[in-house]
Amino acid sequence: MISHEFIFNNELSFEERCRRVFQYQAEKNPVLNTFFEVFGLRPDSKVNPDEIPLLPIRAFKEMPILCEGLKPELVFKSSGTSGMERSSHQIADPNIYKISIEKEFYRHFPANQYALICHLPGYRQNPDSSLIWMAQHLVNIDPDGLNTFLPDDPDEFYKWKERVQKKGKKILLFGAAFGLLDLAEDQQVEFPETTEILETGGMKTHHREMTKSELRDTLSEGFGIKPGQIHSEYGMCELLSQMYALSGEWFTTPHWVRVTIRNSDNPSKFCNPGEEGKIGIIDLANLHSCSFILTEDRGVMNEKGDFKVLGRWHPENLRGCNFLVDQEI
Amino acid sequence: MENFENHIERVSSAIEQWLQPDNYFLKEAIDRTVNEGMFSFPDVKHRILTLKETLRKENLERWARISGLRPGSLSGKQVLCLHAGNLPLVGIQDLLAVVLTGGTYLGKLSKKDPYLLPTLIRSFKNYQLMNDAYWSTNLEKLAGNKADAVLFAGSKKSVIKVNEKLHSLKIADPDTPRLMRTAHFSIAYIRDNKPETMEQLTDAVFRYGGAGCRSVAIVVAPFHLHSVKCTFTDYVEAFWLKNPQHQKPPESLFHRFAFNKAIGVEQAWLNVFLIEENVERPTDTFILYWMKGGLEEVENIIKKYRDGLQSVYATGDLIGEKMVDLIAEPLSEAQKPPIWWKPDGIDTIEWLQKQV
Repeated sequence: MISHEFIFNNELSFEERCRRVFQYQAEKNPVLNTFFEVFGLRPDSKVNPDEIPLLPIRAFKEMPILCEGLKPELVFKSSGTSGMERSSHQIADPNIYKISIEKEFYRHFPANQYALICHLPGYRQNPDSSLIWMAQHLVNIDPDGLNTFLPDDPDEFYKWKERVQKKGKKILLFGAAFGLLDLAEDQQVEFPETTEILETGGMKTHHREMTKSELRDTLSEGFGIKPGQIHSEYGMCELLSQMYALSGEWFTTPHWVRVTIRNSDNPSKFCNPGEEGKIGIIDLANLHSCSFILTEDRGVMNEKGDFKVLGRWHPENLRGCNFLVDQEI
Repeated sequence: MENFENHIERVSSAIEQWLQPDNYFLKEAIDRTVNEGMFSFPDVKHRILTLKETLRKENLERWARISGLRPGSLSGKQVLCLHAGNLPLVGIQDLLAVVLTGGTYLGKLSKKDPYLLPTLIRSFKNYQLMNDAYWSTNLEKLAGNKADAVLFAGSKKSVIKVNEKLHSLKIADPDTPRLMRTAHFSIAYIRDNKPETMEQLTDAVFRYGGAGCRSVAIVVAPFHLHSVKCTFTDYVEAFWLKNPQHQKPPESLFHRFAFNKAIGVEQAWLNVFLIEENVERPTDTFILYWMKGGLEEVENIIKKYRDGLQSVYATGDLIGEKMVDLIAEPLSEAQKPPIWWKPDGIDTIEWLQKQV
């Protein structure tokens, strides 16, 4: 069995850690064992990360994805708001999730500088939400006891704000896009202009679907803060790692994650910088489930290797004649 | 105005001339189409042979009667036909509708099929049926020709782009009537695996690479795929020997096969096609979905995917039966539709006479 010290040890190259995780999952995970076998890969195959086929993310909707001999201590489920089946991610070792959250979150938002206030109204109805679990964990481990969820009572909020200011910390408001927009509109509570925002979740709001840049502009205006104070988080229940985009739309990855943009017609091929494709993720923190995932998100990468999330990948309708008219006019 | 019989007679004669085996222009168009890799020779041949059957004079008369044709009803009116198709001569029914109603044909020919249709237009011209027609593979060349109606296949996504383009080229304004077809797949309900049924099913699924909107994308049968997998693939292989698949699927199809295998979906991998026991909204080509079930399952699928569904096919005594709001068509006619068939349930002649 691989320890979590191994996957989070950045003294080892990503390739070395990835190869070991591939061997482990190819051997112990029956879904991946079969999947890799079709591509002629066996657990003892010598592979580079780029050569490992990525399992379509909908596998998490179809069946349990867990290495043999392990029992889940936690099960995360997607919200299923789009009327689709929900994804289910079985977590054998919650410690890995804790470490992953802490390492990457604190790398960007050090505990001694930020007080976190979470506003996740839609997600709080989902007891199996990995996002709520993450937020709760960040609340639980805060040494100053300041991290919290946004209280319903504005007076409670203002008392909290005072405590944060006394501690000399900056407020980091963490929430899903639609909840933050509602909060900005309601104006029940007033945030100081030094507040920073960490938005997450889809771009589909209660109001309408909007692009990230529209969202950033609306949040900036609504909260009266500079666009540079708005950050994004990219995560999902199928991943035990999160990616962050600071003051913009380009996400970076932790050292145990590799993101690539894949050609939708041939997911073994990579898109060039600037070319849109499906976001492919190798997340070594998914140690006991599946680290090699092809998402249904549309993305693009820049020359530096940072990536942008452009929304959902909507399949082109390739049957019949109706899709051809676009190519003809 | 020319009377009904004479008009049909003239249209029919023009088609007959076009389909003569010694028609040099058609032969040359077929050669160019095949040599330039647009369609395979067996696909073009099948299409031409099918048209020979369906475009007989008595069939034209029947369509004219069903649709309530009034020859000359569109006299002086221009109809833009935007042809875009993945099988040879896909827009032929629209061209015929314009000719039969006496309208002026404005044709945006498909870049993927630019040679075949002009040979029929040539024949119509010989019979003075299309004196003022304009056509091109380039829409810009039709700029300024104000259309009174537009016929095309498209999607909700493409309609905005099409409208903007037609408006900018002064071909159509927002009020110009347009008939847009959006259906992109069909369903077959079979109740046995007799050779005749399996042969018809094979043709219905695999003809033209399975890409047409009349091609079957979902099969409902009273048995699981695994029980007929070997027999069915034998029929498919025999079909491909005579009609090799022209288009090759993307690599993602192999990834799908690998995924299905990993999660235990029953499937048949045919290298250039995938059959799987599973039903999804059919968007991709080269995939046939199989479902064990009966009439209830067929009706559920129709209701679920009605907005993209073209036809439902059946065999034996179920032909002609109503399934939800669709009348079951013969499975044998999936790739050989009668000339009066209604794309997206709308008779083109009837629509033109009503809207223009």
